[in-house]
Amino acid sequence: MDNQPSTPDFSDFSDKDKKDLQSFIENEQQKAKFQANVHNLTDLCWTKCITGKITSATVDRYENSCLENCVNRFIDSQKTIVRQLDAMGGRA
Amino acid sequence: MDNVGNMLGLSNNATKEERKQALMSTIAQQSNFENARTLIEKINEKCFEKCIPKPGSSLSSGESTCLTTCMQKYMQAWNAVSQAYIYRIKSDPRGN
Repeated sequence: MDNQPSTPDFSDFSDKDKKDLQSFIENEQQKAKFQANVHNLTDLCWTKCITGKITSATVDRYENSCLENCVNRFIDSQKTIVRQLDAMGGRA
Repeated sequence: MDNVGNMLGLSNNATKEERKQALMSTIAQQSNFENARTLIEKINEKCFEKCIPKPGSSLSSGESTCLTTCMQKYMQAWNAVSQAYIYRIKSDPRGN
């Protein structure tokens, strides 16, 4: 029981070590946010584009272009809504 | 979180660099795990909807096959969406 590991001590970390960790974590957070967006988009666009029975394990080219359009139009919608809200801002 | 040392699989005499690397790989691992967990949850939801329209007393072999096919297809769709999204972000960096 003597050599049971205890909580490691991070007090010897230099400013550079802390900076490295911070930028690593920021990068991981950005990655996680991107992945969450892709999960959300795939959910939405799957419902719109994969409408028939599942007969093939691959996405055919029609489905693929539907998925691409779906992603782009979703972002367009988002931008349009933000713009509209912005324009309404003064009167809201 | 009672023992970070155990979680990182480190002994007391790990060097600073080892502890730093261990911390980063633990964070990356948890992030990957979370991503996989969400993917599985979505696949289950979407493919259950597609493949099991009327749940019977047991999973038929047709339903099983459908689930496997659907799972592969969902992952392909995820990749296609991811690519399209990356492309859009790159060509339009201020547009989210």
